[in-house]
Amino acid sequence: MFRIGIVGTGVMGGFHAASWARTPAEVVGVLSLDRDQAQAVANYVNCQVYDDLDALIHDVDVIDVCTPTDTHHEIVLRAAAAGKQIVCEKPLARTYTEGREIIEACEKAGVKLLVGQVVRFFPEYALAKSVVEAGKIGQVGVIRLKRVGFQPSRNPNWFADFDRSGGVILDLMIHDFDYARWVAGDVESVFARNVRSNQANTMDDYCLAILKHKSGAISHVEGAWAYPAPLFRTALEIAGDGGLIEHPAGSSVPLEIHLDQLPDGSRPNPGVPTSPLLDDPYVLEIQHFYEILSGANIPLRITGADALAALQIALAAVQSAQTGKRVKIEEVA
Amino acid sequence: MRIGIMSFAHLHALSYVHHLGHMADIELVGVADDDAARGQRYAGQYGLKYFDTYEALLAEKLDAVVICSENAYHHRLTVMAAEAGAHVLCEKPLMTSIEEGKAMLAACEKADVKLMTAFPMRFNAPTIEGRKVVTSGSLGKIYGCSTTNQGKMPRDVSWFTNKKLAGGGALTDHTVHVADLLRWYLGCEVVEVFAESNAILNSDFKPEVETGGIVMLKFENGTFATIDCSWSKPPFYPTWGGVTMELVGETGVLSVNAFKQTIAVYSHETDRPSWPFWGSDSDGGMINEFLTSVRENRQPAVTGYDGFKAAEIALAAHRSVEIGQPVSLPLQG
Repeated sequence: MFRIGIVGTGVMGGFHAASWARTPAEVVGVLSLDRDQAQAVANYVNCQVYDDLDALIHDVDVIDVCTPTDTHHEIVLRAAAAGKQIVCEKPLARTYTEGREIIEACEKAGVKLLVGQVVRFFPEYALAKSVVEAGKIGQVGVIRLKRVGFQPSRNPNWFADFDRSGGVILDLMIHDFDYARWVAGDVESVFARNVRSNQANTMDDYCLAILKHKSGAISHVEGAWAYPAPLFRTALEIAGDGGLIEHPAGSSVPLEIHLDQLPDGSRPNPGVPTSPLLDDPYVLEIQHFYEILSGANIPLRITGADALAALQIALAAVQSAQTGKRVKIEEVA
Repeated sequence: MRIGIMSFAHLHALSYVHHLGHMADIELVGVADDDAARGQRYAGQYGLKYFDTYEALLAEKLDAVVICSENAYHHRLTVMAAEAGAHVLCEKPLMTSIEEGKAMLAACEKADVKLMTAFPMRFNAPTIEGRKVVTSGSLGKIYGCSTTNQGKMPRDVSWFTNKKLAGGGALTDHTVHVADLLRWYLGCEVVEVFAESNAILNSDFKPEVETGGIVMLKFENGTFATIDCSWSKPPFYPTWGGVTMELVGETGVLSVNAFKQTIAVYSHETDRPSWPFWGSDSDGGMINEFLTSVRENRQPAVTGYDGFKAAEIALAAHRSVEIGQPVSLPLQG
């Protein structure tokens, strides 16, 4: 049985804790700058709150990094140096160099690196990928991927700090950059345009990107933290020379709930559709990581190199949006 | 009003003839076509007189002509009609080179005849309503737009995939409609164009032109927009294709789906679903505007210049694909 230590207990830390509870592994400790938040997660999974990272690393087999992006590098390197297995939220790192060093450190230490590119575990995305893989739509020509929503609000809001999060391009669009590459192979160049407001009360961040794959395929990727809350939409479309896969936004919502008021008398949040699954994608992801950690003879669905390649595409999009030029992927190194 | 049809190469001519045939005070004088068999076939179908040459048709003292030739012949036919003193409604894209377009505008100006570009999307009820939302200012400043004008590849009409006659493939055929709508919505011009394209889709057809493409525009007000112009709908898709626009602004988001007003039909006859359209007919509105502008001796709502600017964007998209970087507008002839 593995002992898990979770670093960072925000939304992702909470999801991971709940997902580890669906495996034979045991979360033995959590650590966060926000001690109250850490305590809440600890209460949920019945574990200890740690204040010292090295103490947590010492006591576990696996460190699960769910902290802000710019801190991944330091935490992973410390845990890997101590010989611990690594689970790390996406994006792998804030810079390409940091990402490469994470991979090198894990290789050198002989520990596994499992990156939470969770979209590969969303059943609709995995199904579309398998339909492509089975040759049912022929050679992939044009892909459209959309992931748009409202501004994440945290206190303090590290998402709003581009130097920490990389904005919507690194934090949100990386899901679809990874997915596009998973479906259509390596990317050759990226062209992107982006608008980001950095006023006190708004952090609207919107980007459109065009990827050219080495296969010749083109991907169109949209990402937004600019839609009115609580709107959050994803969509995917893959066109091949032998067919087409469509999954438009909101097309697979099996439940719509409309209430005058909630049992506690409050007004319900409008417009939040629900697509229930017996195992949500985070559970599927963590269960897959558990199997890999256990030495199961199955292919790892997302390698460290995949996560680094997704980061490289995202950084190329950032660079293109800044320079207004098409960026060849090897320019990001 | 005496009207002639110059060429049935573009099958939109069938719809235009249908509408003209039902209008009061309209005399459909006849048809001429480079392809005599084609011209005679459709002339026979609609009970119209066939003229052996365009000169013979234009000698009939026409008030106006509708030009539905191959793209490469728009220039020659428009100049002929203008010199004969006939007002011109010309199918899109207006031209296949900047020189042609400039000559067309000059010829119509010199002859003092109207030149209208056939952009029926300007008369589509949902797009008209969408423009009201944008110009009302309720979206705030528009950050960007993600748009599509996808369709089936025109397989039955061979010139669409002939580089010389069409001027290009999907980039030429499908960029101009939405480019025009965006100019109309945003009320300003495009200053830069980037595009990627490929010829993967419909590879069974061995097309000599691009069949997939995504264009990125930058407007002078800073708004950026993508247009997916791909022929990505398979031959058995339930409808011909469609036009969608999602505009993301500072204070809201607008999604327009111009052809969503359909019903779904599942018929044993076709063995697959079809989505017939029940929304308002935009071709009728367009023809009516052309005739009214002639009667009232005023500029049509969609001018030759609008067609020129939209076609310039498609030409710039081709140039961008060649050089792999964005291209500045206006294009130098």
